[in-house]
Amino acid sequence: MEWKLSQEQEDYRDALRDWLADTAPVATVRRWLDSGDISEFERRYAADGMAGVGIDERLGGQGGGVVELALTAEELARAAAPSAAWMATVLAVPALAGRAEVVAEAIEGSSPAAVLVPAERVPSSAPWLRVDDQGRVSGRAARVLGADRAGTFVAPVRAADGRVALRLVTADGPGVEVRRRSLLDRTRSVADVTLDDAPSAALDVDATAVLDEMARLAAVLTAADSLGAMQRMLDMAVEYSGQRRQFGVPIGSFQAVKHAAVSILVGVEAGRSGVYYAAASLDRAHEDRLRHAAAVKAQVTAAGSRAADTALTIHGAIGYTWEHDLHLFYKRARLDEYLFGSPAVWNDLLADSLRLV
Amino acid sequence: MDFELTEDQQTIRKAVAELAAKFDDQYWMETDTAHEFPHEFYDAFAKAGWLGITTPEEYGGHGYGITEASLLLEEVAASGAGMNGASSLHMSIFGMHPVVLHGSEEMKRENLPRIASGELHVCFGVTEPGAGLDTTRITTFARRNGDDYVINGRKVWISKALESEKILLLTRTQKFEDSPRKTDGLTLFFTDLDRDHIDIRPIRKMGRNAVSSNELFIDDLRVPASHRVGEEGKGFYYLLDGLNPERCLVAAEALGIGRAALRRAVRYANEREVFGRPIGQNQGIQFPLADSLAKLDAAELMLRKATWLYDCGLPCGREANTAKYLCAEAGFEAADRALQTHGGMGYSEEYHVARYFREARLTRIAPLSQEMVLNFLGSHVLGLPRSY
Repeated sequence: MEWKLSQEQEDYRDALRDWLADTAPVATVRRWLDSGDISEFERRYAADGMAGVGIDERLGGQGGGVVELALTAEELARAAAPSAAWMATVLAVPALAGRAEVVAEAIEGSSPAAVLVPAERVPSSAPWLRVDDQGRVSGRAARVLGADRAGTFVAPVRAADGRVALRLVTADGPGVEVRRRSLLDRTRSVADVTLDDAPSAALDVDATAVLDEMARLAAVLTAADSLGAMQRMLDMAVEYSGQRRQFGVPIGSFQAVKHAAVSILVGVEAGRSGVYYAAASLDRAHEDRLRHAAAVKAQVTAAGSRAADTALTIHGAIGYTWEHDLHLFYKRARLDEYLFGSPAVWNDLLADSLRLV
Repeated sequence: MDFELTEDQQTIRKAVAELAAKFDDQYWMETDTAHEFPHEFYDAFAKAGWLGITTPEEYGGHGYGITEASLLLEEVAASGAGMNGASSLHMSIFGMHPVVLHGSEEMKRENLPRIASGELHVCFGVTEPGAGLDTTRITTFARRNGDDYVINGRKVWISKALESEKILLLTRTQKFEDSPRKTDGLTLFFTDLDRDHIDIRPIRKMGRNAVSSNELFIDDLRVPASHRVGEEGKGFYYLLDGLNPERCLVAAEALGIGRAALRRAVRYANEREVFGRPIGQNQGIQFPLADSLAKLDAAELMLRKATWLYDCGLPCGREANTAKYLCAEAGFEAADRALQTHGGMGYSEEYHVARYFREARLTRIAPLSQEMVLNFLGSHVLGLPRSY
């Protein structure tokens, strides 16, 4: 494997970064968040052709794999883009094998998809909803990422005979109630989804295998998100400490401040190496890909959370204000630590795979 | 609430510091390197009467409490003597507590004055290869035989056994499986280290090499019943009372090493110039040392509270354990930072901070590990389900 991105991957990353700088500069993002309406972002993201990257061409995507998805996650976080629908959709794609039309609608932006797992759980350990012998699904999935944006749900269900499956449910169909919840991180959203005999269609996939894959993908993409937020906060902290003067000098000239910024950099560098290795590992279906995914989820999102605190410390009081942009990234990184499982939970998964006592 | 030490305590501190100052870092480096017991130091402290600090006055001691004993060991350690100095005195200063409380009058009269005078060197034999934190699992066994007991077994990590005449030995007189409760059936003896029946083998260690730590192989050691401390089967309970004071004393030692280390670090940081200025002017050097000062001061307060509670006869398990935890953490961190402050010279033995580092490290393990303290606080104080 190569320890660097291909030219194509770098070009993609640069193009996405430029697009985000044009379309979603932070002032615009704040405007969307304050108005509560982020549909403009989702519409333009789809319309300008960004949404299919990392999705198999046979499913209507533009090709590329987990590395491209990770690059996307990192850049979106770096811009604090309201990307819950994107994340939910790409995590649902493994469940939608053979359902190109559903994927196409999701990519076009008209109908993002979301797997009904609670956002704080490792997807492979999420609770099952109930399904009857007519395919009607009942139960409640709380705090599902992007469920308020989705047009299609993938419901993990268990039948009376104990067999599990994944089934397709239309978000605005009968028996479906979606209640949005508010997050500290306004750049993402979750919603409680309550199903009451909601009709569903079968998906011809191995439910357990798909949820395992979703878990690994969620781990890597959340780590990539954390990486992007961390990088942005580092850049802000360095810039601020170069400008802000106290005791007659820029505060960045104090060793304590320098070392603090460097500690973020160390986390970013380690995180970047880890995340892209893990992404490549998923792309290649490496036999240790679960361990790689678990390691980066646990390490990088924990580092991101610490980096958020350090960046806030470097900014001092101004970093604590609403008017300053830091809190957007601070909250993003703090959510990433717990999104799809805390570091402790992923370390447990890792430990189990090592078969220690 | 009065945060001042009493006049006696202040006097003790000052006097101990003065006496300990006569043995400089060079002395300790030499005894440590040569693996030689510091007899000169020990004898000086014995002569000045310090070994009997907690021994009751009627047996030739001063009858002071744990506060005074911890101040003594803290100042010894802080002088640069570290764990070597402290451990050479430690057993005499407090270890005989079970004998004081539960030993026969004859045992006390025969031994305590000699301990107070320093003539009698003693050690403490509890730990075994299969029973460290889990004391009730010891297997060294004392079988009653007429007026004697015959003892067989193995001990490990017995400090100062090489130099000792007697040992306070914990055995079982009833096997673990045969005891109604696991804490029953243990019996304490205070007896001679009969080299014909006890093979003493020093263990090579990372540090604190002036005071040996040893494996003991006990083979048909015959001891008279009169050497038994208190009643058969109650040994564990006799030890319990000494556990909290023990934590306080080691906490004091860790704290002292931390102070010694910080002192050297500050001195070096003021003297050593790099890039045209004293290295102490760099925040990367200064802040860790200031942070260590704050933590040592906080740990000290915890220790003072713990020893005060014990001397007042009040429960002090929470405080003694916390004091050991915080003092060991702060002491070791200060020693590590002192080493780092000295740069390459810290890695050499010349500036002594390496020795402080090696010795401070021990206090995170003994007399019980930091993790075990957390076990205790978690289950016994917070009331969380016991995890061990």
